[in-house]
Amino acid sequence: MEQYVLPNSGHSSNPEASKLGMWLFLFTELLLFGGLFLVYMVYRALNPEAFLIASYELNITMGTINTVVLLTSSLTIAMSISALQKGKKGLALYLMLATIAFSLIFMVIKFFEWNAKIHHGLFPGMEHYQSLPHGESLFFFLYFFMTGLHALHVIIGAIFIGIVVVKVGTDEVTGDQGTLLENSGLYWHLVDIIWIYLFPLFYLIH
Amino acid sequence: MKAEEIQHITSFREHFGTWLALIILTVMTVTISVFGADLLSLTVVTALAIATTKAIVVGYYFMHLKYESRIYLLMVGVVMLLFIVFLVLTIFDYVFR
Repeated sequence: MEQYVLPNSGHSSNPEASKLGMWLFLFTELLLFGGLFLVYMVYRALNPEAFLIASYELNITMGTINTVVLLTSSLTIAMSISALQKGKKGLALYLMLATIAFSLIFMVIKFFEWNAKIHHGLFPGMEHYQSLPHGESLFFFLYFFMTGLHALHVIIGAIFIGIVVVKVGTDEVTGDQGTLLENSGLYWHLVDIIWIYLFPLFYLIH
Repeated sequence: MKAEEIQHITSFREHFGTWLALIILTVMTVTISVFGADLLSLTVVTALAIATTKAIVVGYYFMHLKYESRIYLLMVGVVMLLFIVFLVLTIFDYVFR
């Protein structure tokens, strides 16, 4: 079937150009989080003891489970691309839905973690937070800001994959025309990579 | 199908291998942190080395850099270099202020 694309319709029919554009966007995301990591690094170097004490407040078990959940979701989205390329549309759809399910599990665990911290009054602006030593309040500010921004990316990634699920269902995205699925996969892997750094920096360094 | 659209299909076995490597690295980093306090403390350097290994594995296999044209690897390299420049300049700023 011939496909016609108007010059200024904003849709590219060139898969290579779409992929290149996606990578360029991912680079801006990397530098956004990279800047935040620099902030973390500087404040950690200035307040080593406070960061150490504050990091004991975080739940390593929940953090580890969330790491495994995100790594496994990266596996399922990568497998869904292979499945679709092999013409196994049903399997690809199940794997994409599994990825969305893993993202929900991640968000539920994150909710309970945040809930516990907020219950202890550690959210920026709360009474207990105000009474913390300066270094510890910096740690919790960065914790909420960086994991919050990451969680926002998880939500956006899950919605992106949800849109691709619909398009695969209607055969708009297929094994030969699978750029949108591949791009959603790239975005999802980036979200995974950011968590790979957040996890040890906030939870593990004792 | 046009010639440039011929794509490499990664096998499920390779995906599972990648996943297993990532899980092993995660177990390593958690074990060092929780149980190995007297053996080898998880310093920033160890933690970042393991995290960077994981990020490279994700990028190379899951994000398909292994099979993409070299221009993608080059671009990733340039962005990493840019970040390292920011990092080093920030460190110099704080150390020699």
